[in-house]
Amino acid sequence: MFLRIRRFALGVILFLFPLLLLVSTPAISATLADRVVEKVLPNGLKVILLENPKIPEVTFQVWYRVGSRNESWGKTGLSHMLEHMMFKGTRRVSGEQFDRTIEENGGQQNAFTSSDFTAYFENMRSDRLPVLIDLESDRMHNLMLREEDFRTEKMVVLEERRMRTEDSPQAYLAEQLEATAFQSSPYHWPTIGWEQDIEGLTLEDLQSYYRTYYNPANAVLVVVGDFRKEELLPRIQAAFGPIPRQETPSQKKGLDPPQSGERRITVSRPAELPFLLMGYHVPNLPSPDGYVLEVIAVMLAGGKSSRLYQGLVQERQLALSVEADNALLSRDPHLFSLSAQPLPGHTAEELEKALDQELTRLQKEPVPEAELEKAKNQLEAAFIYGQDSLFSQAMLLAQHEIVSGWRAADDYLPSIRKVTAADIQRVAGQYLIPRNRTVGILNPLPPQEGKPLKPAPSGSGRIIR
Amino acid sequence: MKPPSFRLFLLSAVLWGWILGVGLTDAPAARPAVQREQLPNKLVLLVSEDHSLPFVTIQMLLDAGSRRDPAGEEGLAYLTAKGLLLGTTRQPAATFNQTLDFMGASLEASASADYSVVSLRVLKKDLDRAFGLFLDGLTRPAFPEEELQKEIKKILGGIQAAEEDPETLAEKAFRQVLFGHNPYGHPVEGTKESVGKLTRDRVLEFFREWHHPNNAILAVVGDVSLEEVKTRLVPLLTPWEVKKTNPQPFQPTFQPGPETRLINRDVTQSSIIIGGPGVERANPDYYALTVMNYILGGGGFGSRLMEEIRVKRGLAYSVASFLDSRKYQGSFQVVLQTKNTSAQEAVKLVFQGLKRIREEAVSPEELQRAQKYLIGSFPMRFDTQGKLAGFLTQVEYYGLGLDYPEKYPNVIQSVTREDVLRVARTYLRSEQTIQVVVGNLKEAGME
Repeated sequence: MFLRIRRFALGVILFLFPLLLLVSTPAISATLADRVVEKVLPNGLKVILLENPKIPEVTFQVWYRVGSRNESWGKTGLSHMLEHMMFKGTRRVSGEQFDRTIEENGGQQNAFTSSDFTAYFENMRSDRLPVLIDLESDRMHNLMLREEDFRTEKMVVLEERRMRTEDSPQAYLAEQLEATAFQSSPYHWPTIGWEQDIEGLTLEDLQSYYRTYYNPANAVLVVVGDFRKEELLPRIQAAFGPIPRQETPSQKKGLDPPQSGERRITVSRPAELPFLLMGYHVPNLPSPDGYVLEVIAVMLAGGKSSRLYQGLVQERQLALSVEADNALLSRDPHLFSLSAQPLPGHTAEELEKALDQELTRLQKEPVPEAELEKAKNQLEAAFIYGQDSLFSQAMLLAQHEIVSGWRAADDYLPSIRKVTAADIQRVAGQYLIPRNRTVGILNPLPPQEGKPLKPAPSGSGRIIR
Repeated sequence: MKPPSFRLFLLSAVLWGWILGVGLTDAPAARPAVQREQLPNKLVLLVSEDHSLPFVTIQMLLDAGSRRDPAGEEGLAYLTAKGLLLGTTRQPAATFNQTLDFMGASLEASASADYSVVSLRVLKKDLDRAFGLFLDGLTRPAFPEEELQKEIKKILGGIQAAEEDPETLAEKAFRQVLFGHNPYGHPVEGTKESVGKLTRDRVLEFFREWHHPNNAILAVVGDVSLEEVKTRLVPLLTPWEVKKTNPQPFQPTFQPGPETRLINRDVTQSSIIIGGPGVERANPDYYALTVMNYILGGGGFGSRLMEEIRVKRGLAYSVASFLDSRKYQGSFQVVLQTKNTSAQEAVKLVFQGLKRIREEAVSPEELQRAQKYLIGSFPMRFDTQGKLAGFLTQVEYYGLGLDYPEKYPNVIQSVTREDVLRVARTYLRSEQTIQVVVGNLKEAGME
C-alpha cells in the first residue's frame, strides 16, 4: 500500500477531521507542551520528540519547509520532482542501498509533497533508530543528482500526473478550480506541476533548489514512538549537527487580494456523472475563524446525521456523496470546499441550489445548542482516536509546526469548545458567500473509444531512454 | 477535494491483505495479549485490552460475504450488510445516526467476497450505549422498504460512477474473465443488471440464513477489561439465537485457457492486469507464494517488476503484483498503468518477469531480503486498535491460531529458493494467463 502512495503529490491536504492527538483524558494528563521536547540545533535544525512507549515502534519524519508554493512560474512541479530524486542515492549510499536497508530492517518508508511541505518518513522497530538517523542525515546534504536518473524519473512523474489528473475528471476539475481561485499566489498551480513545466525541468533547477531548501535551518525532524529522549537526542545531534548551517530561505509569498465576485468554471471531460466543487477563500490557523470553520465542516458533512448528508443524500435523494473540507492547516490562507456528486438523473445545478439553501440557513438561523454540541463531540472524539497512530501524532505536530508552530496543536480543542452559535452565523455570513467563491462544474462527456494517435502525444517521443 | 490517489490506495489495500503478515525472529514477537472464548451460542469472542487511550474498537465479522450471493442476485450480501444500519425494529435510521454522531462514534457495515464486517469505534464513556446500538443493528434490523430502495439507488449510482475509472474497469473485467460464474466472479456490490432486482424479502431471507452468532466472530479491542466485557457486553450477546446454516459447496471454476480482453477508452494511460488463478488461504504453499510475490512485484521498491519497469525505464508510476488469497482459491495479479504508447513494452516486460521467476531460482540475497522484511514488519500489522481488531477477526476466520504471530517467522524463514521456484512453476502458468488492457487501443497499437 505504501507503494501506491509513494512519492505522491498532495494538492493541498484538507482533512475533514484533522489528525489530532492529545486531549485531557484520564489516561494522558496535560498538554503536548508538557510531553514534547523541542531542541533547535546550532545549525538551525528543529528537533521535535514525543515519547510514546505504547508499542516498540517509531515513526521518523523529516519535514522540509518547501512545497509547490516555493516554486516559480514555469518551474512548477520542482518540489515534487526533487522528492522523487531524493530516493536516487547520495555520495555514500546508493538509492538501492537506501531502499534495501529500510527493507531489511522491516521498515516502511514513503514521502509526500504538498503546496507547503515535503516530508520523508520511515516507520520501523524502535531498536533500529540509528539506521534512520544515519540515512536521513546523509540525504539532507549529500544527495547525488544524476542526469541519467533524472531522465527516467521525469517519465515516472509524467506517468503519475496522467494517472492522478489527466485520467481522473474530478481531480482535473479540482486542479482547474484552484487555478481559478488563486491568481497571483503560488497556490495557483498544482503540486505535481503543469505537464509542460515538468517536461522542461533541468538538473540545474534541482541542484539549486536542493541547495536552497534542503538545509537544516529549513527542516524539522519529528520522532514519535518508543525511545528515550536522553538517549536519542545526542545521537541526532551527532549525525545532523555537523551539517553546515545555511541561509534560511525566505518564505514570504504573495497572497491574492480579496475576491470581489463569484468565479465559475466548467470542465468537459469523459465521465459518468457530473460533479460540483465550490471553493471559498478562508483564513487559516492563526485565525479563530479557522476553528469555527472546522465546526461548520462537521455540521455540514461529518457523519450520517450531518445537514448535507441527511438532507441531500438521505432525504432528498439528490446526491451520491457530499463532502466539506476546511483548510485550517494551510501555510497561507486557502479554501473551504464543498463538493457533491449527483445521483444519476440529477444535475450539478440542483446540488448547487441545495447547498446554497443550507449555507443560507447557516447564516440566517442560529444553530441549535444540541447540534453544536454534537459537532464538537465529533471533533473531540476524532481528536482522541487520532492518538492511536504514531504516524498521525507526528503528522499533527509537523503540520502545525509548518503553519505556526507545533504548540498550536494544544489550542485545537479549547478553540473548538469556544465556538458559539453566533460565531457560526457570523463566519458563515462572512466567508461562505457567493462573491467569495469559485464554482467548478464537471460536465460529463459520454465515454469515448480511444482516438487515433495524436500528432504529438505529450510525454512520449521526446524522452530519451 | 480528496486526492484521487486514496481511491487507488484503498482498492489495493484490500488486495494486500495478508501479504505482509509475519513476525520477528531476532526479538520477542510483539504478540498482542488476547483472550478467546466461545459463548454458548457459538459466537467466538476475542478480547485484547489496551488502556493507553480512552476508547474501544469493536469488529463483528460475519461469514456472509458476496460469494454467498445467489446467481442473478449479485450484491445481495452487500445490500444486506448496508441494510443493518438503515433502521432497526426499535428506532429509525435518523435517530440511530443522530445518537451515534452525538457520541462521536463511528459505526460502519460493509461486505467483501468472503465476509461482512460491522465495526464500531467509541469513547469508553459511551461504550454501553453504543454497543447497544451496534447490537440493535446486527440483530434487529428492520430493513425498511423505503430506506432499502434509497440504498439500491446509491449502489447503482456508485456502480455507474466507477465506470469512469480505468483501473476499476480493468479489475472487474479481470475477475469476470478469471472466475466466470464462480462465486468470486462478480463485484461485491453487484452489477447494474442485478442490483435493481434485489428485494426486501430476499434481503430478509439472506439475513435469516447467514447472520447468526454461530457464523460470527467478535473482536473487542481497547480500553475495556475482560471483566467488563463479561459483565456488560456478553449478557447482551447471549440472547442472540443460534441457527442452523446450510453452506453450499463452493465450486472453484476458472477460465481454462489464456485470454486477452481489450477495452477501448479515450484515456492517456492504459491500465493493465496480467494474472491467473491463485490459492486459497489455507493452501500450504501460501507462504512460499507470499515470498515469491514479494520478490516479483509485491515488495515495493525492491521488487523486480518495479526495478525493470519503473526504476530502469520510467514506464510507470505504479506497478505491483498481488496475491489475493481467500477462503477458496483466489487470484494472482500484476497491475500497472503506463502511457498508451508504452503498453506493449510494459506487457512484454511483465511476461519476461513471470518467465524468469518460473525458470530460474531467485538469488539467496533476494530470498533473504524478502524474509527479513516480511518478518521484521510484522508488528505493524496490528499497531493500532483498528488494525488489531481486523487482524484478530481474520486470524480466527482463516483458522490460523492465536499463536500465529509466533509461528509465522519460522514458516517464512523455512521457505527455500527451491520452494519459490516450485510455486512459481506451479501457479504462474503461462497457459492460464489472463490479460486485460483498458486504454486507448489505437495509441497502444493493440487494436
